[in-house]
Amino acid sequence: MVGKAKGLGLRAESQKAHADASGSPLSALSPERSSACAQSAQAEELWLALHLPAIALDAVRREGDGSQPIAVVELAQRVQRIVAASPAARERGVAPGMALAAALALEPQLDVRSRDAGAERALLERLAAVAGEVTPRVSLEPPDGVLLEVRGSLALFGGVDALHEQVSAAARRSGARVRLALAPTPLAALAGARAPRARAQAAFRVMHRAQLVGALAPLPLATLRLPPDVLARLAKMGVTGIGAALRLPRAGLARRFGPATLATLDRLVGRSHEPRRDVSRRERYRARHEPAYELTEQPAVIAFVTPMLEALEEFLRRRQGSITALECRLQHRGGTATRCRLRFAQPAFAAASIGFLLTERLAAIALAAPVRACELVTSRLVPRRSASASLWQPGEHGGGLANEAPELIERLRARLGEESVHGLCLVPEHRPEQAWKRDGALRAPTHASSEQRAEDRKRQAADNERQRLLAASCPLSAVRPLWLLSAPLLLPAGGDAWPRYEGPLEKLAGPERIETGWWDGRDVERDYYVVRSGAAVLLWIYRERRPPNEWFLHGVFG
Amino acid sequence: MSENPRLARLLEHPALWRGRSAAQVATWPTGFPALDTGLPGGGWPRAGLVEILTPRLGVGELHLLIPVLSRLAKLTPARWIAWIAPPFEPFAPALAARGVALERQLIVRTGAPLWAMEQALGSGACEAALAWVQGQARPRSLRRLQLATARGRTLGFVFRSAAAARETSPAELRLAVAARGNGVEVVLIKSRGGTTRPVRVEFGGVDGWQG
Repeated sequence: MVGKAKGLGLRAESQKAHADASGSPLSALSPERSSACAQSAQAEELWLALHLPAIALDAVRREGDGSQPIAVVELAQRVQRIVAASPAARERGVAPGMALAAALALEPQLDVRSRDAGAERALLERLAAVAGEVTPRVSLEPPDGVLLEVRGSLALFGGVDALHEQVSAAARRSGARVRLALAPTPLAALAGARAPRARAQAAFRVMHRAQLVGALAPLPLATLRLPPDVLARLAKMGVTGIGAALRLPRAGLARRFGPATLATLDRLVGRSHEPRRDVSRRERYRARHEPAYELTEQPAVIAFVTPMLEALEEFLRRRQGSITALECRLQHRGGTATRCRLRFAQPAFAAASIGFLLTERLAAIALAAPVRACELVTSRLVPRRSASASLWQPGEHGGGLANEAPELIERLRARLGEESVHGLCLVPEHRPEQAWKRDGALRAPTHASSEQRAEDRKRQAADNERQRLLAASCPLSAVRPLWLLSAPLLLPAGGDAWPRYEGPLEKLAGPERIETGWWDGRDVERDYYVVRSGAAVLLWIYRERRPPNEWFLHGVFG
Repeated sequence: MSENPRLARLLEHPALWRGRSAAQVATWPTGFPALDTGLPGGGWPRAGLVEILTPRLGVGELHLLIPVLSRLAKLTPARWIAWIAPPFEPFAPALAARGVALERQLIVRTGAPLWAMEQALGSGACEAALAWVQGQARPRSLRRLQLATARGRTLGFVFRSAAAARETSPAELRLAVAARGNGVEVVLIKSRGGTTRPVRVEFGGVDGWQG
């Protein structure tokens, strides 16, 4: 679904570029051509608009509100005025626009609440989150609308009627009364949803561009939310419906009411594209469950957490998201908690793989006390990227790695600890112990694209050149052992000038002097030798040039 | 293959099975011609467990693997080479100088090398895995490693002490490696059709040890 919607978006973008290139709305472009090409490219979009006619009231609704008269007031020009009233209040004559004093005179029992813009916005965002279950393309239309692009979802949810039913049921559950309308352009859907409608009248529903203008014609112009002065001047000309406005000559309309008005009408009928910004969700998952009895054993804890992970997977599936970190808090009596934090090498979403890692981690934790409650808290959701699986297994006929590499790292790190698994990288340094370092940020070895390979080759060539220069500057630099001791080992002095290590040592090469690092306080002054020990092992030893001139074993050739 | 053309034709018959036929396995060249001719299939198996037994650490057993590691680290698609519980620090500049790509190396420090080795071999994410096992390893755990190499199509090397030569092992190939002059002597303790004579591998003096 995501992929499809993305494809649509791209096509719409290219269409927009086309429309822009064809000139301003005032140019002598023939409207037929413009609308024809717009139609061919955008015919596939279908927008479902959710209009909340009573958002002020819905936002301040509380649990347990019955049929008592409620009114929402807002301070405007130093007078508290009613902006919305419940049906019970309206029956007693309380109407929007009325001063609060007048409303209270009509209905002394009136439950007066002040308007809460924050709660209204939160309600819209809640609706957008619910709508995310139907389509990934959801955008907000403040103050009282939400738009969903649903063409790709129609088949999945069983047609327009089923989708309609599902969205309105979901909206009701989130505590909002909505009016729905379907149209091929966002603005037409909004206009259809905003238009006042008689009780028995069917919802505004236009499936195809060809029927759009005809269906829009009877709607009042006010549903487009044009600036009030434009509306007033149009009304003076006798233009109050959308149909009448669309019949006006384009050039004259633009000259008298500004290009913005013409652009609005063009967006309405789909002559120009209206780009919409999709809501990006910034949510986390948090769930807390208490077992019927206290859990004392690890397996019991794991068995208790497993269904929670399955719920998490379902949550992530609905949002097509994945998580990069998860914290499992095991709460004990007395408010203490054991925390178990997982970080994933790549975004995870499958309950099975998360459960495996959590099991490994929990097995390593000693439970201090019985567990009274489990809480799962995730990191912020990131969009799920699903790669197509390879036909071949890795290592078989050139099959590449998919998820195996990060899974292996996660598995090893979950059991052995974060710092036990690392890679290697070079540091341009003469001191052997500082010429390399551990690379904790392990990336899966990939050979993805040809550009990347070309870049690799370029980097490789640069590396080789650097190595060559390094070797030229220091001819003995290639005589290096494969093993380095993490700390040099002090060797006992032998009878002659040579030290001993499990017997006498036989010199094969050296000395190679390494004397550097005076600038950072860890300077070295050493003479390195390659020697063979009595057990025929090649060793790399050095002698400090500073007194007391001790000998150290630093490497094994292996 | 044979000096007698009639015998050669006879040997091509599919119904005829000889002891060495079992050695028709996919292999990687070791980089040492003397060793290639001695090993079954002419090299290290592409998937399988190889046990390397040395009297002590550092007699040259790692140099024996450098050519194949450098070759495996250049393969596409890329897979890791895992070093499980190495006895010292693998010295990155020396590996890089010998052509072993560092970005493919995965170092795992652990006190339980067999578990980590099984994960690395069985995951399919590694081209080769090297594990240093100190002390005892039961045949059953080595058997698990052998099965994991088949599962992940991975080449596994286990380094153990020469004292383990007398124990039974399910590994596909068992080598005893000892230092000899400027190289090593390799004895195949167990192989499916390899040579029975010791193989001398020369690294060619200190220069050769440089790679």
